[in-house]
Amino acid sequence: MGPYERGELMAGPDGALLAFPRFLGERVLALASQVGGVGILLKDVLVRLSPSQIDRLELFRNLGRMGVKSVPIISATAAFTGGIMVIQAAPFVQQFQAEAFIGWAATFTTFRELGPLLIALIFNGRVGANNTAELGTMKVTDQVDALRALSIDPVSYLVVPRILAMVSMMVVLCVIGDAVALGGAVLTADLLLDVSPNLFLSSAVERLEVWDFGLGLVKSLLFGLMIALMSCYYGLATKGGAPGVGRAVNASVVASASGVFIVDYLLTFIL
Amino acid sequence: MSIRIVDVHKSFGEKHILRGVSLEIEPGECFFIIGASGVGKSVIIKHLIGLLRPDKGELYVEGVEVSKLSEKELYPVRMKCAMVFQNSTLFDSMTCAENVALPLRKHRGMSMNEALKEANERLAAVRMERFADAKPAELGDGMQKRVAIARALTLDPSIVLFDEPTTSLDPVSARRTDALIRELCDRYGVTAIVVSHDLTSIFSIADRIAMLYNGTVRLLGTQQDFKTTDDEVVRQFIEGRAEGPMQL
Ligand SMILES: Nc1ncnc2c1ncn2[C@@H]1O[C@H](COP(=O)(O)OP(=O)(O)OP(=O)(O)O)[C@@H](O)[C@H]1O
Ligand SMILES: [Mg+2]
Repeated sequence: MGPYERGELMAGPDGALLAFPRFLGERVLALASQVGGVGILLKDVLVRLSPSQIDRLELFRNLGRMGVKSVPIISATAAFTGGIMVIQAAPFVQQFQAEAFIGWAATFTTFRELGPLLIALIFNGRVGANNTAELGTMKVTDQVDALRALSIDPVSYLVVPRILAMVSMMVVLCVIGDAVALGGAVLTADLLLDVSPNLFLSSAVERLEVWDFGLGLVKSLLFGLMIALMSCYYGLATKGGAPGVGRAVNASVVASASGVFIVDYLLTFIL
Repeated sequence: MSIRIVDVHKSFGEKHILRGVSLEIEPGECFFIIGASGVGKSVIIKHLIGLLRPDKGELYVEGVEVSKLSEKELYPVRMKCAMVFQNSTLFDSMTCAENVALPLRKHRGMSMNEALKEANERLAAVRMERFADAKPAELGDGMQKRVAIARALTLDPSIVLFDEPTTSLDPVSARRTDALIRELCDRYGVTAIVVSHDLTSIFSIADRIAMLYNGTVRLLGTQQDFKTTDDEVVRQFIEGRAEGPMQL
């Protein structure tokens, strides 16, 4: 029963009038409890970060399956992004004979904004969703309780290695993505605009600042943290069997993506 | 006294599952908890290791009141008091041997290789060493359950909670599991609490039996007490009759 229906069940205009504030109130409460839950999870993770407590085997397993296996799809995305930036800029470059700027123009937005954002969204879909589904399944099949019964702390054993793996892999993938995007852009510029790789690269190197690249990395790190926290939180909060796992994955992907955009907005504004 | 449960109440929402359960279990005893599905057998044993908290009442495990301990304070209790879950709960990203090796690696400070070696020995005790490298999903329920038993026993606990250890096992494996449980009690002085519907197990290895009904203990006694009781509800249950006074 949705909140509106509940409102309509109450007789008279009062019921209808109350339905909307009630709906709003319920949503605000739900949101507050989720934000609180993610905050508590972050605190639980931070107090368990001492190197001796980290399960290395789990960490390496997650680094492999979350990071290494994401390289192909991230590379493909990045190559196309680099190319697309050049194609978008092409008419103006030709109109204003700005071949000397194309290298900078294409890489500037890719490094600072598009690269990290697109990589984060793909990472969210591939790794974040998978992570929520895996933790959610463990939760509803009592595997999380089984860990507790073996005196193994689920946050130390399950969450910390996953968060470390996701955050570090997002940064590494961003570096790889930047390199591949640059390659894609150089190639496209050469084929489409006859801009030689030399000219392209020198324009990029001359005008780009280290910070353009650095900002992208900082963003990736925070996007990675966002996706990691959300996907673990929703995974461990899963209730209600297989449909519950489906709902958790859904909520996690939506919340992570929204979180990524909010963080991006704030960071771009501040930095 | 190994375990003492004092007037435990537990509700889930509207459902009042436990309505004042009290039990005392001696060290080295093989204690069975029986009762119809949904009566709260799994719920009560989960209370003993703090996976659930009572609404009211106290639970003592080797003298320690567990119901108010923090999660961290419960860890030492859980090392002494292991649990085999009803649906074996093996970690499905790991092989059987890795499952059994995990507690060794975490609590005995063993390296993966040492732990795997010991895990293989532990699997042999439940005759599952051939499947050491199989993933749980490749095994049937009965085999998974045997691996789960091996995993629960790795830390040599002094109390073991078995939630339906013989359900979904073939008769031969079921009797071997019975023998294993009895051996734990007789040879190693382990206190075993077994939740079961398996009449053969109950009437072959139980020292004492408690039957839960409507949220309380309906009858507590030895095998003999259960065989000779006049209580129609208990009789219906242990004779497995469809008709009778029992409300489900
Ligand atoms: N975490 C929980 N949240 C809500 N309800 C629960 C929870 N755990 C158990 N219950 C309810 O408590 C009741 C008793 O459950 P329990 O698993 O203890 O039954 P049982 O006696 O072990 O039965 P079975 O023989 O089928 O395993 C059931 O109605 C179940 O739905
Ligand atoms: Mg049960």
